[in-house]
Amino acid sequence: MNVLIRALGAFAWRWLDKLDLPLLLGLVAIMGISLVVQASAGGDAASVLKQAARFAVGLAALVVLSRFAPSTLRQWTPLAYVASLALLGLVFLIGTGRSANLWIDLKIFYLQPGELLKLSVPMMVAWFLHQAFLPPSWRTLAISAAIIGLPVGLTVLQPDFGTGLLVGASGVFAVFLAGIAWWRIGVFAGLGLAALPIGWQFLMPYQKARVFTFLDPESDPLGEGWNIIQSKIAIGSGGATGKGWGQGTQAHLDFLPEHTTDFVFSVYSEEFGWLGVLVLLGLYFFVVARSLWLASQARDTYGRLLAGALALTFSVYVIVNAGMVAGFLPVVGVPMPLLSYGGTSAVSLLAGFGIVMAAGAHRRTWGG
Amino acid sequence: MRRWRARPVRNPAAEGEQFRRRALLSGLGVGAALLALAIGYGRLQIQQHEEYATRSEENRIRLDPIVPARGLVYDRNGVLLADNAPAYRLDIVPERVDDMPQLLAALRERVALSEDEIRRFENARKGSRRFKPIALKLRLSEEEIARLAVDRHRFPGVEVVPYLTRRYPFGDLAAHIVGYVGRIDQDDIDAMASRGESRFAALPHIGKTGLERYYEARLRGDVGYQEVETNVENRPLRVLRRHDAQPGADLHLSIDITLQQAMVEAFQGQHGAAIAIDPASGEILAMVSLPSYDPNLFVGGISFRDYKALNEDPARPLFNRNVLGGFPPGSTLKPFMALAGLKEGLITPESTVFSSGEFRLPGAARGYRDWRPGGHGTINLRESLAQSVNTYYFDLAMKLGIDRISADFDRMGFGRPTGIDLTGEAAGVLPSRAWKQRRFKQGWFPGETVIAGIGQGYWVTTPLQLAQGTAMLAGDGLLRRPHLVRATQAGFGAPRVPEPQPAALRVVDDPQHLAAVNDGLVATMHGPTGSGARAAAGAWYRMAGKTGTAQRVSRQGAERLDPNRLPYHLRHQALFVGYAPADKPTIALALVVEHGGSGSLAAAPVARRIFDAWIGPPPAPSVEPVAAEPRP
Repeated sequence: MNVLIRALGAFAWRWLDKLDLPLLLGLVAIMGISLVVQASAGGDAASVLKQAARFAVGLAALVVLSRFAPSTLRQWTPLAYVASLALLGLVFLIGTGRSANLWIDLKIFYLQPGELLKLSVPMMVAWFLHQAFLPPSWRTLAISAAIIGLPVGLTVLQPDFGTGLLVGASGVFAVFLAGIAWWRIGVFAGLGLAALPIGWQFLMPYQKARVFTFLDPESDPLGEGWNIIQSKIAIGSGGATGKGWGQGTQAHLDFLPEHTTDFVFSVYSEEFGWLGVLVLLGLYFFVVARSLWLASQARDTYGRLLAGALALTFSVYVIVNAGMVAGFLPVVGVPMPLLSYGGTSAVSLLAGFGIVMAAGAHRRTWGG
Repeated sequence: MRRWRARPVRNPAAEGEQFRRRALLSGLGVGAALLALAIGYGRLQIQQHEEYATRSEENRIRLDPIVPARGLVYDRNGVLLADNAPAYRLDIVPERVDDMPQLLAALRERVALSEDEIRRFENARKGSRRFKPIALKLRLSEEEIARLAVDRHRFPGVEVVPYLTRRYPFGDLAAHIVGYVGRIDQDDIDAMASRGESRFAALPHIGKTGLERYYEARLRGDVGYQEVETNVENRPLRVLRRHDAQPGADLHLSIDITLQQAMVEAFQGQHGAAIAIDPASGEILAMVSLPSYDPNLFVGGISFRDYKALNEDPARPLFNRNVLGGFPPGSTLKPFMALAGLKEGLITPESTVFSSGEFRLPGAARGYRDWRPGGHGTINLRESLAQSVNTYYFDLAMKLGIDRISADFDRMGFGRPTGIDLTGEAAGVLPSRAWKQRRFKQGWFPGETVIAGIGQGYWVTTPLQLAQGTAMLAGDGLLRRPHLVRATQAGFGAPRVPEPQPAALRVVDDPQHLAAVNDGLVATMHGPTGSGARAAAGAWYRMAGKTGTAQRVSRQGAERLDPNRLPYHLRHQALFVGYAPADKPTIALALVVEHGGSGSLAAAPVARRIFDAWIGPPPAPSVEPVAAEPRP
């Protein structure tokens, strides 16, 4: 009997030894909160179970990816990048979706190539920078911009602005962490500002409407502004300690739209108050900080840049979503990571943390 | 080391150091952003809390669905077959109830609650959104409403809500046509969600079978919305804005409920099925499947016990035999065989075949028998139908060959759904080489062609297919889609819109062929040797028909089986196809009497009673019967 337990333990250890316990605990805590909030916001046991099942799949992906040494992952990177681009192209041909064609119907589940890009784009940028001279030259930056720009352009054309933003950010973070000189950042920022009025021309009418609504939500109280006003009422009425679990009237009386997905953080804020907000934002900060630390422990440039970019992208989810539901930022379709209801983003995020853990576990073996 | 060869002048230590500086900077940036968010949330939740708390309290505008009235169903003379009746139901909002068991106990003293209703309520609670009312009991009685009204204030979260329920005034008479609605279950809600039609979950009912299901999208109409201002207890005070519901369309059927009633009576308690079609249009005049069931049982949610009883009844009352049931057509197939033979030029009305009592394929030891020992002698087309001479059709089948039989019967609508406006129609089986290869991975044997000629072997037809074919014989040789709905109407006073029908397909090119078959079918009913002559005796009008018997057990060797001595469940199905009046048909009929023995003894008398009911008594003694106009 003891032999059996020991054998099982050894077997489990072989699979789990690359995991980073503090980071894992942080993620599990957020997922636990997610299930509690979904039980209140969704109100239905089946959807809570579904969400738990997605987390289980994501955790499995995390464990599997933590087994791959970053050097192995690096060899497969160009292939992964090309394959995800091909799938993205395929979406234009056979994709399905309600407002935009974002999914490919695989009969068993829907595949959203945008989610794959959130991993494959930073991978490709890290792969390229790994063999380039650092800090990056103009030539290196130009090629990096092409690697990032192609998938981001295609994603925005779909049109899926939220995913485009996150994919672009993931690539840009890799370049930033690689040590791009500050004066070059300044040049890019200047170019970006100059391009803003031109970019405005290309925005979809609904996207322009969102910007106007953001500037003055009360101007359209029954249309686009309704969401933001109701969300702010939900958050503000929560107070310091919240109305209590399951007591949030905003969501339950159907004032809050999308209260299990993009606006779930409002439900959480209403029911658990400012204290709850501090706890959850604190957990998110811990997850990002720990991931950055693990990234800095990685053995090579590829692992470092990739893990660091994934960690910072995760923080963009949090900042954009929390800012959007409170009316600090325009409404962009970005979920609260690991809190919102929905499958693909939870799985790809957890898979990303598998890569982060792998980078941290396959450490430097010599000084530097 | 490989990486050193690949990038000889890089400094990994410096790269690592650079990364750590940037990572630290980023981490600080993220921390600062999150801190700013925390401060922003603090302003909303602490500083401006009072303001938002007040606005939350005042948030009293609710979006309520407006439920449309379901479309009504009328027969061809405007008699209501399905309507809506006002009723009251008992709703509970579980979140507003402190002690559910105690509440249920208290309600039980005032309202009759069955275990089924409690169980259904508990199940609905598990799958439902929070703060959504859930129906505990539908169709409260007047007395129950009065008892609840007295002390409703004692039950927070309990509401008595008016709604429209569905009613089928004729009960089991038209159950297999109209079908029934039932309560919307979780599967329905999921299906609606996947089609982006979640608003229909607000409806009390959804069509589950029959026309109620086939025409669900048109009967249900469209759900409207109203913005309602409510008080703190969430009770509506006034309506701010209203988007009206779209009522469902009414259906006008081709069914004549009087004929339907006569059809049921014609069976005199026997089980079976019958369909009557207007040959000129393909409209179904009556359609019964016996035994039937009461669709009203399903409307408010059928009890588990009632459903089990219906579902496990060996007579299968829920099963629509006309559309779903199949059997070998036996001799009722012979008129169609004759038509195929005439079309291919293999027989003429004058050509004859000699029946010796047994038909043998060249070189075969075993023969195929006529029903009369010793045979019928020399037989032409008319007598082959009147006396139902197997040898004539064994011979014809061999001349045609299975490939021509398959092709010609496919044209006549066999082996595929007719397209009736009911769901789940069976296709039956049209024997062919391709079908047999698919089904049995075997080639075709000549002996199988022989028995296919008399409607035995692999043949499976539905009563509906036989009725469609018979209507084609009775009419002008055109195959029409049998259908139940003649027209729809967007509401009382709106114009009736005829339901579009697919174009009729020409099956018979030469009217002489139809006349020759008609001659044989009239001889069957009125000729001295006719198998249906006893049933047709004494009729003031002339009818055409063909009897048949579908075998449940095959004849072995020379031994003859007495149908009346067989066990009940192994007895033959008695069949009849025919139309009347023979020279200018207004009704085409196909029917099957289950376990009825022979077609001429069991099925033809039922057909006679149905024809009599449709055509009515002779108008006046002075008028020639042939010239008589049938009832509309």
